[in-house]
Amino acid sequence: MKNTIKYITIILFATALSSCEKAIDLKLKDTTPQYVVEGVLTDEAGGCKVLLSQTKNFTDNNDFNGIAGATITIADDNNNVYPLTATSTGVYQNSTLKGAVGHTYSLNVSVNGKTFTSSCIMHPAVPLDSIYLVKDELVNNKDGTPRKYVTVQYHDPASTKNYYRFVQYVNGRKEESIMLEDDEFTDGQEVNNNLRFNNSNDNPARDIRPGNQVTIEMMSIDQAVYKYFYSLSNSANGDGNNAAPANPLTNIKGGSLGYFSVHTVVRKTLTAP
Amino acid sequence: MKTNRPAWVSMLICEITRTPLRTALGIMMLLLITAQSHAQTQGPLDKPVTVTINNEPLKQALDKITAASGIKFTYNETVAKSTVKISINAKNQPLGDVLRKALAPHPFSFTVLDNEVLIKYDAGKVKKQAAADGKYTVSGTIKSKQTGETIIGASIRVTDANAGTSSNEYGFYSLTLPAGDHELSISAMGQKNITMPVSLSGNLKLDISLEDNSQLLQEVTIKAAPAGARDLASPQMGVEHLSIQETKNIPVLLGERDVIKTIQLLPGIKSAGEGSGGFFVRGGATDQNLILLDEAPVYNASHLLGFFSTFNSDAIKNMNIYKGDMPAQYGGRLSSVLDVKMNDGNNQKFGVSGGIGLIAARINAEGPIQKGKSSFLISARRTYADAFLALSKDSIAKKSQLYFYDLNVKANYVLGDKDRLFVSGYFGKDVLKAADIAGINWGNTTATLRWNHIFNSQLFSNTSLIYSNYDYKLNIKQDVNEFNIYSQIRDFNFKEDMQWYAGDKNTISFGVNSIYHTIKPGEISATGNSGIISQSLQNRYALENAAYVTNTWKATDRFTLTYGLRLSAFTILGSGDYYDIDADGNIIGSKHYTSGQEVKTYVNLEPRVAAAFQLNDVSSLKASYARNAQNLHLISNSNSGSPTDKWVASTNLIKPEIADQFSVGYYKDFSEHNYEFTVESYYKRLQNQIDYRNGANVFTNQPIETQLLYGKGRAYGAEFLLKKKTGRLSGWISYTLSKSERMIDGINNNQWYNARQDRTHDIAIVAMYKASDKWTFSANFVYYTGDAVTFPSGKYQVDGVTYYYYTNRNADRMPAYHRLDLGATKQLKKTAKFQSDLTFSLYNAYGNPNAYRIFFRDNKTDASRTEAVRTTLFTFVPSVTYNFKF
Repeated sequence: MKNTIKYITIILFATALSSCEKAIDLKLKDTTPQYVVEGVLTDEAGGCKVLLSQTKNFTDNNDFNGIAGATITIADDNNNVYPLTATSTGVYQNSTLKGAVGHTYSLNVSVNGKTFTSSCIMHPAVPLDSIYLVKDELVNNKDGTPRKYVTVQYHDPASTKNYYRFVQYVNGRKEESIMLEDDEFTDGQEVNNNLRFNNSNDNPARDIRPGNQVTIEMMSIDQAVYKYFYSLSNSANGDGNNAAPANPLTNIKGGSLGYFSVHTVVRKTLTAP
Repeated sequence: MKTNRPAWVSMLICEITRTPLRTALGIMMLLLITAQSHAQTQGPLDKPVTVTINNEPLKQALDKITAASGIKFTYNETVAKSTVKISINAKNQPLGDVLRKALAPHPFSFTVLDNEVLIKYDAGKVKKQAAADGKYTVSGTIKSKQTGETIIGASIRVTDANAGTSSNEYGFYSLTLPAGDHELSISAMGQKNITMPVSLSGNLKLDISLEDNSQLLQEVTIKAAPAGARDLASPQMGVEHLSIQETKNIPVLLGERDVIKTIQLLPGIKSAGEGSGGFFVRGGATDQNLILLDEAPVYNASHLLGFFSTFNSDAIKNMNIYKGDMPAQYGGRLSSVLDVKMNDGNNQKFGVSGGIGLIAARINAEGPIQKGKSSFLISARRTYADAFLALSKDSIAKKSQLYFYDLNVKANYVLGDKDRLFVSGYFGKDVLKAADIAGINWGNTTATLRWNHIFNSQLFSNTSLIYSNYDYKLNIKQDVNEFNIYSQIRDFNFKEDMQWYAGDKNTISFGVNSIYHTIKPGEISATGNSGIISQSLQNRYALENAAYVTNTWKATDRFTLTYGLRLSAFTILGSGDYYDIDADGNIIGSKHYTSGQEVKTYVNLEPRVAAAFQLNDVSSLKASYARNAQNLHLISNSNSGSPTDKWVASTNLIKPEIADQFSVGYYKDFSEHNYEFTVESYYKRLQNQIDYRNGANVFTNQPIETQLLYGKGRAYGAEFLLKKKTGRLSGWISYTLSKSERMIDGINNNQWYNARQDRTHDIAIVAMYKASDKWTFSANFVYYTGDAVTFPSGKYQVDGVTYYYYTNRNADRMPAYHRLDLGATKQLKKTAKFQSDLTFSLYNAYGNPNAYRIFFRDNKTDASRTEAVRTTLFTFVPSVTYNFKF
């Protein structure tokens, strides 16, 4: 919810400073490509997936720059090592590996003589009690129809630190916005959290419209992963609001960008009225 | 005295005629007896007079002599206004004898001019008398004749000796001179110069009224005196004075005259950018400027997200900005002191003035409470920008509110010859609201009670009690939820400043200051089902004490030295928890302190030294060193300052920021003081600078230290200013070449990087042209190197979304900023009772699309590409304002 407060505050100032926008030709530096590791292990089969890619120059296209030929393994805290195999360029999976709550998993990526490692613990799932839509009173969709957001309802467990990440699918389309929450101000409370997102490119497919199937995935993530996504969305999304953009705080050692998240997933679906 | 030549000629004549006259007088009786026929050669000086005059002013005495003898006198204003008093007791004595005796102790001589007697000021006689015993002090207050306003920084010079002083911030001056007769020349910006003879045979209280120069300005030939010229003899460096009249014709955004916008056109002072109220001084951050309004610190000096400053020009008398070499009575900030003084209010007559512009209206009323003794002033402003929002097509904008109002009030009361009381206050509020769903209001409140006391002609005291408050309140309604966030910083402040004019060589200032700070970092209250638990962060308390003493020593006619010391002690007080934090920002321990318990005291010795060496009458060299310590820090990570940026006091972990600044300068007046050229160069070393960690969480109930990193900084540069002060065309060209860098442990691989405010080049050209009695035109042009920023060096995908890769901090540049503004003022009606004018301005006249920010995104139409997008705030902003005064 504190992200809601931040979001609304930004909208407030942005409105006051309404201005004109123009794409410009800006000469940006190029650098040697950096590795990006995106490692995920969930409590569901098929949820073990590591994406390995490299950064591109600003002027290049946005296609995923997958890197083949890496050796990637995940080990549990009983020294069982599970290999991942490439399913397409830069995509490595283990279709059977599932994480178990309370266990710590280690990621090892070897590519072209470099090794990247990380470890992460799986926290227990927090039940998602319900999801429902609320109408936004501040902004409308681009076409003037009312803008709707999902509100998630759950009970935050008392006296443990909890970090959540939400992913929204509208008719199967994944929403790009990073939606995070922690329990700094809501420890042990019944929480109704509004999942706001900024439809920055006015894509109608992102809006929630009558008849749409909306699915919410709720992940209980580790603090380091929360910090990664928090800093990713605040300082690396290029929105120009941050005075000091920087690379996000990663939990991967060895000099790559990215993260390794081991988390539980719960989900709920509704049909927009 | 219009020119020196006639006086010099008459002196010469007098010297030539004196000897023959004396001889002649000796044989006069003989001639009278022996040759009656010679009687027709008798001059006016020979005429016998019988008159008794007992200690009467010179002019009055001369009138009496005329009445008694029929001999007429001619003399100039110096004689007419002279305070010299003479006594005569003559019975049938020749006029020449009578005058010689009466004028002997005074700097006047006489000579015959046809059938009249010319009385002239005679500086030659003063020199002879200077050897006379004893020194005495002339002191008093300098005021405006029209309004009774005290005049700050008026120059009082002794024309016959290399001595002088200037009035202090309450208009008081004190000058110690040898006994005898002197001539004082008094000048002040916007006032007519006057000269005034004084005769010192004891301490003298002399209040001086100056006449407004405004009539003069209206004349076709503008001939302003060198008043307001930089004081070449004073060691004070890095200072810029502005009287409010000077800001009158400079075009500004939306026509609101603004001292803060005007100072940004001076070298070394840089705008923090459009949409930001802050300014950078010599590579310092915006929070390193101490902004004082009638001595009360103002924590947020901007309205409407920086488009206006909190200073309503109607209520402002004068401002000084010190860019370095801060006098020892100021402390607590590293980069600059902006000292703004409000008008006292007209104590001669009641008047109302005001203005109506496109987005704001102003009204100002002032007048005497007791004529000539006490006065009041009330000045108010309100913007109505939101009236235009209703016309907007945008649904949010339509339902939005955006305005500010502010109020300045002041009253002063003369308790007696030696005592004066001032009460002044400021109250301002900004409101930004979107359709009752989200709103924020913020504002400053200050109140000052001051007591001026003149102990004696050499000792001046001011005692102040000051209250300052800044707070903001954020309100958000969402679905069934409502949130309120409140934050505040509040000061109670006691100040005692003394000025001791110790003889003709030393001026000593000393004083103490004690401020009790209370900072409420944040209080959140929530209702609804969000689960947010209402809570407040612990208040922080601190006591900031300081004592200082400084002396300005006029060592020789050419060399002046100011040396002083400020001792500051910042004591952090409980109650509250204070923490230990590891290198990664994790809390590893904490300690609770009870109410009033001392957590830690930081003591800093801040030496200040400055020297001026006057090369000749029109040029001087100066050098200075100053150390400053700062214990209040504004933590901001947004690109343009926001009203919700956090003020944080030093803690056990946040150390006082310290700056050492060295500067040297060269100053020259030329073309008879019509032009002024200055160049100053500085080097500044900064310690304990603060920045956010990468990925810092701004909205947290964790101690702020968990989000901070510390390091050092350095800044250096050269500033050039060429100013034309008189004539139809006046203005200046300012150029700054500078560098400002930071090295913070944990940022940019611990390497030096450019501070955001690092700007290599900064140019401002300001020109005002008085075309006629009716029209004044003005223009200013600014150009500066774009801010140091961090742009992406690459991009990558996370979860299918584009993010950006960054390398070095602040290694890129925003595009260079440049802009031309035009202004014109048309004087409409002007009578003694009523005057009005129309002011037109055009901001960004050639519509340069300056970048407010640059952001990066996937192209809206071709999602396979990324693009850089520039947002621009203002291109071609016209305005018209109607001002009136009656």
